[in-house]
Amino acid sequence: MIKALFSILIFPGFLFVSVFGLFAEFFDRKIYARLQNRVGPPWFQTFADFIKLLAKEDIVPCEANPRMFGLAPIFALASVITVFLYIPLWKTETLFSFNGDIIMVLYLLTVPTLAFFIGGWYSTSLFARIGSVRCVTQLFAYEVPLFMSILAAALLANSWSLVDIVIFYTRHPLYCLFNLIGFGISLIALLGKLEKTPFDIPEAETEIVAGAFTEYSGRLLAILRLTIDIEMVVGSALLVAVFFPFGLTLAPITGFVVFMAEIMFVIALLSLLRTVVARLRIDQMINFCWKYMVPLAIFQLLLNLTLKRILM
Amino acid sequence: MGLVKKIVTWARIKSPWILHFNTGACNACDIEIIAALTPRYDLERFGVQLKGTPRHADILVCSGPVTKQIEDRLVRIYEQMPEPKFVVAVGTCACSGGVFNGCYNIKGGIKSTIPVSAFIPGCPASPKAIIDGVVKLLQSLEEPKK
Ligand code: SF4
Repeated sequence: MIKALFSILIFPGFLFVSVFGLFAEFFDRKIYARLQNRVGPPWFQTFADFIKLLAKEDIVPCEANPRMFGLAPIFALASVITVFLYIPLWKTETLFSFNGDIIMVLYLLTVPTLAFFIGGWYSTSLFARIGSVRCVTQLFAYEVPLFMSILAAALLANSWSLVDIVIFYTRHPLYCLFNLIGFGISLIALLGKLEKTPFDIPEAETEIVAGAFTEYSGRLLAILRLTIDIEMVVGSALLVAVFFPFGLTLAPITGFVVFMAEIMFVIALLSLLRTVVARLRIDQMINFCWKYMVPLAIFQLLLNLTLKRILM
Repeated sequence: MGLVKKIVTWARIKSPWILHFNTGACNACDIEIIAALTPRYDLERFGVQLKGTPRHADILVCSGPVTKQIEDRLVRIYEQMPEPKFVVAVGTCACSGGVFNGCYNIKGGIKSTIPVSAFIPGCPASPKAIIDGVVKLLQSLEEPKK
């Protein structure tokens, strides 16, 4: 009981993942700034932002539905933190593993997007509504290639459980090379999920103010920002666990450090991508996803099916 | 209690998010404000971020005299910001009405409509002056602690 509470609230649950998420946001912003020839924020920046938002006034617009408006961010945060309990962190074993948990992880990562939609919709502001509709439109575009490419890797490992996938790829490290296309696709799809630059259409600040978050202030905004930070960490951790889960067989501490370094590497790739590209229009984004990413993901799936025939 | 308050004040000083609002300026002051936000001066070093919505902002950066038309909107934007909030008037026009003072369509400086925490004169105020003004405003938050 106490052990379960400890793992939910402190490590690797709420506390650890929040601090790590805030640090990851700083890391992302710093790389973004350095690539633009700027100095960038100091290391405590994201923590200061978070504390400041917690201490600010909470405004609930009188037009908004207060219950949905207040609950949506909490749902989003809870679901992304839950995901972290299913990701192997320091050994090839998770706290609560079962066969099929990779599906659950993928669906739990969808919940924040839906929560943003609900929060934006019920805040009854014009900008928030446009933003939240774009959020969901975008969801239909990136979700399919993301699922396909991650499940293609799972297919090669012949299991729906993250632990088994990790064990399979640590045993056969070279098989990771077959999944390179899948890794690229899921990296791009993850940018869409995190609403980062080429796909930051839902919160395009030059067109629709701040999208679904337009009416949020104070504590609720802090929760929403934390959700996106944690989503970034969790999404990167999922990609690492599925596509190159090396180092987890080492001693607990080294394994943990190596795994964290790999997560940071994926986050650095995400920042690099978001620096070098500009925002697309929503129709261009949907076209891009369905015309190029989905066929590539199908190709990856067929490739893995054939490989499975040949190799096993 | 004292510690919590100290941490909150520290966080407030380290993370000022601004909202830029043109209340009727000739556009020169706006260009200078944008110039202060470019990589040349890199205000993100100090945690300053430009936000699109008043709900996220801590500091309202106004430029220009208050015209009769913008008056209601200025009050509305100000009311939409969550507490604690500050207003910075950039440019001589925003401070006093400047060359436009006395025109039939002008009400005066920003302080004729909403309370202002810092005035930054200049026509237009240079980016360095704007940064200096914001830093002084943030320092004034700290003062009563000592
Ligand atoms: S202070 Fe000068 S530059 Fe600024 S808005 Fe007034 S006239 Fe224009």
